[in-house]
Amino acid sequence: MSQGCGHAVDYLYHYIDDELTWSRRIRIRWHLRRCPNCTGAFGFESRLKSLIQQCPGDEPPPELYDRLRALIREEAARDHP
Amino acid sequence: MRGRTNRGALLADRATFEEDALQFAPQLYTAAMRMTRNPSDAEDVVQETYLRAYRAYDTFTAGTNLKAWLYRILTNTYINRYRQAQRRPSEVELGELQDLYLYRRLGEGSGASVSAEDEVLERLVDTDIRTALEELPEHFRLPVLLADVEGFHYKEIAEIMDIPIGTVMSRLHRGRKALQQKLWRVAEERGMADPGSSR
Repeated sequence: MSQGCGHAVDYLYHYIDDELTWSRRIRIRWHLRRCPNCTGAFGFESRLKSLIQQCPGDEPPPELYDRLRALIREEAARDHP
Repeated sequence: MRGRTNRGALLADRATFEEDALQFAPQLYTAAMRMTRNPSDAEDVVQETYLRAYRAYDTFTAGTNLKAWLYRILTNTYINRYRQAQRRPSEVELGELQDLYLYRRLGEGSGASVSAEDEVLERLVDTDIRTALEELPEHFRLPVLLADVEGFHYKEIAEIMDIPIGTVMSRLHRGRKALQQKLWRVAEERGMADPGSSR
């Protein structure tokens, strides 16, 4: 593990989350190009993030829209009786 | 009547609230389900969110991030309602976990094989990830949900949760490592972490 690896790992999440300045991003990309260990680790972390992202959520009940609309209209009627 | 902020930006109009905001209802419901883990609580939180958002809509600056603004109200509603019921886990409770927790643990047994870690990822199912997420202590779970599931930027999460951006980053990073520790346990229990078992 080189000094470059430590630096890259420190910024791993910022890199994956697209939260880096352009110049720092370039420096890390440059390191990744030369370092298969970090490339493996970064790839793993970003695949895990996608898995979490794609994990299906619960669908709302079909009546949710109607109930919200009714709620808002009731509140609006209170504004302008 | 539409007002303006003191910088001249146009404020939103309640008359268009329904049209503007209802499109986010399915996402907000899904997020509320992840927070409360219970359909009737989730719907209560979403309804209260829409009511509060409607009442405050004439303070929302038109053209800014409506989705983030609604998530902020949703998160506040959830926290205010359920915070009393929850103990607040200390940061210490999670312990200090190493970076790349899961990757390194999976790599320990697999020697030079680069794909072993990815193979384990492929074998984790949605419920493994959901369970791991649900088990995270509350104030680590919210940043992970907002960043990983909802795709918000750190700055937006800071605004939504009303905490400094540095706190967002530290909770997000620690939350992710804790999530990985839970997934590691799943992998271990199923013998997925044993490099010999998968081939």
